[in-house]
Amino acid sequence: MTIINEYLLPCFYSFMACISFTLVFNIHGREQLVCGIGGAIGWLVYILLDETIFAAFAAAAAIGAFSEIMARVIRCPATGNLLVALLPLVPGGGIYYAMSYCVDGQIQLFLQTMLHTLGVAAALAAGVMVSFSVSRTVFAARQAVKK
Amino acid sequence: MDYEKLVNLATDLGCRLMASGAEIYRVEDSVSRVLTAYGVESPEIFALPSCLIVSINTPDGRPVTRMRRIGPHGTDIEELDIYNAICRELCADRPEVGEALEMLTLIPAKHRSFKPGMILCGYAAATTFFTLLFGGGLFDAVSSMICGAAVGLCLMFGSKWMGRNSFFRTVVCSAVAAFLALLLSRFGLGRDVDTVTIGVLMLLVPGVALTNAMREILAGDIYSGLSRTAEAILTAGAIALGVAAGIALDMTF
Repeated sequence: MTIINEYLLPCFYSFMACISFTLVFNIHGREQLVCGIGGAIGWLVYILLDETIFAAFAAAAAIGAFSEIMARVIRCPATGNLLVALLPLVPGGGIYYAMSYCVDGQIQLFLQTMLHTLGVAAALAAGVMVSFSVSRTVFAARQAVKK
Repeated sequence: MDYEKLVNLATDLGCRLMASGAEIYRVEDSVSRVLTAYGVESPEIFALPSCLIVSINTPDGRPVTRMRRIGPHGTDIEELDIYNAICRELCADRPEVGEALEMLTLIPAKHRSFKPGMILCGYAAATTFFTLLFGGGLFDAVSSMICGAAVGLCLMFGSKWMGRNSFFRTVVCSAVAAFLALLLSRFGLGRDVDTVTIGVLMLLVPGVALTNAMREILAGDIYSGLSRTAEAILTAGAIALGVAAGIALDMTF
């Protein structure tokens, strides 16, 4: 039961949240499913690595790799899948808490939370960047081999 | 070849890509590919989130430049897919420039979009599952579904009475979210108000904007990255203001 409660359910929630967001970003058909699966994979990696900044980096790299591969498989830009699948990881709570500390006047806590949030955002961006660059190289090499 | 028309075509395509939410490097890359496919040597393209400048030198040495301002816009992945496909088609087939311009004007008819009711369901379901994901219980989820639907309504239909200013709109939406979450918890719906509020605010919070900003900085588009960061901070400020207003409103009851 703990496996279901700790791992499967959150991944399912992440999957459903991503599918719901495809309606908002006007994504249709197979791409909706890809977004959902991407969100689930990302969240799984994130909780397996204990929700640290490094976990965010690894999760973003996993999502990036997945959406680059799916972009080749179903022939669509990776932007949409990436945008939606990253949503659950995105530091929304951090920004909210940081700003509420700021309004409260708790500058120490505000700075601490703000820096952590920026770190998470940078880790996500770096993760996406890594898988983007690697996939570019790999796919270019494969095309060179085919020719 | 009519280079003025060619520049118009490329700028139009770039603008539409940008307005559908493409990244800066994708816009610059697409415009440059189209121009190169039509035989322009080393076109110069510079894109910012709010502006696109395209400049080419014709073979007889005459510079042709076009600049377009890009207004506030959302994200529409369907549109992005279509314009991306068009860009590939132009590069591969190189139809006459006039024909290509006509192709661009025909696109809005092809464009699918969801019904407003469906989008509203999307908002409500997204907030529900975000609240569950962040550790909320069943009642929290129901509460955040109601709040999410309310915020979705404000986002979709509120522009009539709130104006087009996104700062003010974010303030109002987050005030609605915080106030409703507190109000519902008073009626026994939702125990963990913080989780509900964060789940609902995921619709507004500039997490995506901040991550995209970082991606653009890493990709080397420093100006765009910085302006997007500023936008994200502004939105975060608006949310904080709105939530404070919502809590204050709840105190008065």
